[in-house]
Formats: sequence, C-alpha cells, structure tokens
Amino acid sequence: MSRLVRGPVTPRMNITPLIDVVFLLIIFFMLISNILSEEIVAMLPPDPEHSQVRPLGEVDRIVINIAPQPFSPQERSRPTALAWSGEANTRDGQTVKMGSLQWFSFDQLEILEAQLADQIARGSRDAEGHSQLEVLLRADAALYYHQVEPVMAAITRSGIRTIHLVAHLPTP
Amino acid sequence: MMPRPRPFRDEQFPSPTAAESARFIRRDRSQTQTLQLNLTAMIDVIFLLLVYFVITAHFPISEGVLTVKLPQGRGGAIAAEAPPPPSDILTVEVWPQGEASFRLELDGTTLTSMTELHQQLVSLQYDPLRGRNGLFQPEDPVVIRPRGAVRWQHVVDVFNTALRARYRNVAFAAAIDRGEPGAEQ
Repeated sequence: MSRLVRGPVTPRMNITPLIDVVFLLIIFFMLISNILSEEIVAMLPPDPEHSQVRPLGEVDRIVINIAPQPFSPQERSRPTALAWSGEANTRDGQTVKMGSLQWFSFDQLEILEAQLADQIARGSRDAEGHSQLEVLLRADAALYYHQVEPVMAAITRSGIRTIHLVAHLPTP
Repeated sequence: MMPRPRPFRDEQFPSPTAAESARFIRRDRSQTQTLQLNLTAMIDVIFLLLVYFVITAHFPISEGVLTVKLPQGRGGAIAAEAPPPPSDILTVEVWPQGEASFRLELDGTTLTSMTELHQQLVSLQYDPLRGRNGLFQPEDPVVIRPRGAVRWQHVVDVFNTALRARYRNVAFAAAIDRGEPGAEQ
C-alpha cells in the first residue's frame, strides 16, 4: 500500500459523458419524429357514421398515402382548405406517397407494386411464413373511388392480402 | 475529544504527535465529507429538451383503421375454394349523386342514407342470437361495388355500415366500372 489517503474524501462526479448521451438522445428523437411526420401526408381521411374504426397497435407497417387533389374542373377553380396552409401535398404532380420518401404518380404504380413486393420479401415473417408487414391506405375523403382503386389493385398484385383503410377515429 | 484510533501496524503508521492531532481535529470540524453535484449544466439540458418538444409538438386528429381483405386475382376475395352461389352474395352498388352525394342500391332497392342501408342489412341477416331472421348468414359475402365517380368517403362509409351490421366477409368488387364523372345517373 504505497498510496495513503489522508483525511476525508469529497466524491466528484464528472457529468460530461452524461451530457453527451443526452445530446445523442435528442438527435435520435429529432430524426425519428421527422421521419414519422413525413409518413403522414396532410389530408382529411373519411369519417364514417357509427364508426367501427379501431386503432391499430404497434405493427410493422408501411403507409401509402393518396394526397388530396382537385380532380374535376369545378374543383380546380376552388382552393382547397389545405392550400392556404401551404402544405406540400405532392411532388411534381405525383400524388401517391409510400412510406416517408417515395412519391409516385398514377402511371408509376407498377414501380410502387415492385417496391412493395420488395419490402414484403425483406420483412419479417410469422410462424406460417406470412409476411408481418401491414399496409395502411390513407386516402383523402374527397377523392373519387376511381383514383383510389388503382392503388388498391397495385397493392393487391404485390401480394398483400389484407389492407387497413385509415379513417377518423372518434374520441369516446 | 476522542483520540485518533490506532492503526493496526504501529511501525508503519506512527501515532500522531500532539501537533498532528490538533491539525486533524481542526480538519474534522471544518471539512466534513460533502457530496457535491453541480446541477446547473443538467438544468440547461432539461430546458433545451423542453423547448425542443414544445416547438415540435403537434396534435394530429386521431386515426384508426378498418381492415379489408383484398380481392386476389380475378375471382375476388369472395372466391374461396368453392365460390358461393350468386344468390348468397349481397351486392351494394354505390352510385354518385351530383358532385358529393351518393345513392345506394342493395339488390334492387334504392337507399339514400347509411341508416337505411344498415336497417336493410340487419333485416336481411340471419342471427338467432340477436333476433334477426333474414336469409343471409353473417359469413355470407358482401360485395361493395362503387360505380362512377363516387367519393371515397361514401365507399368507406358503406364498408363501415356493413361491418356495423355484423357481416364478417365484406370486400370490394374485383373489377369496377370507371365511368366519367356525372355520366352515370
């Protein structure tokens, strides 16, 4: 015992590494919230009467958005409620968004189908080998059915068996 | 005044002299063991986090889901191993009315509201536990066939109504008629 500690000791805590960890957490949550908010295109989903809509829990999911657009000539002359807020609903006229990053137009739905099939192939599977990826279809309530149906058909062709239609969840 | 306890090995740790004893006693009184933690930096970080979450908070409308089985191939979700005879399939046609409204046709009957559709579907159902004496089982397929330029809101509303009437096998038609807006009346 060569070192001899004399007298009382004052423990000191160096909190520099703790602050580094906190900054790491901040950056992590900033990135996550940005990615999640990109997944939700601004729109008003349908609001059924006597709603049977249920919340979907935490699942492995991919959200396909069909952005609201004025399609008929009468509608084009009327500004939509979302236009004033400056929300970007499209990118260069493409109105179907898959996930957080990819935009498609209606003639590019084969690419959407291929991408979706790719995601299914890469995703996790349950005991029977079925894919655990859930597809959520978010379409604005004012869209016409013939604008939503091609997207549903593309999703079907990529091998998905059930699809979740996103609608307004009434608060109890 | 307590004397300093004697260490085990007196040769290596000689007992204190009187002067040393006095110093130690003074140290004991003026410098007790203190645990110091400077919290200023931590509070700054907490404020940073608080400001960040206040700025980035947003309150979206709550959304839920309705689950639908998609039609597979040409037969539709209705086609299982043996497709049921057409008389067991309930078909609801959704027609547009004007620019925003709708009209429903359920096996020939025209309906103009979801409440009427619900009443019709319930009256057609056979469910003795609920006192329903219709002809269709809850497992019988219900096909929703939108026609023309009908709004998505109404299509989802019909789907929701069919679920509310406790039909378990509701799906969309595999092939739809895409009419020009306003052409089909």
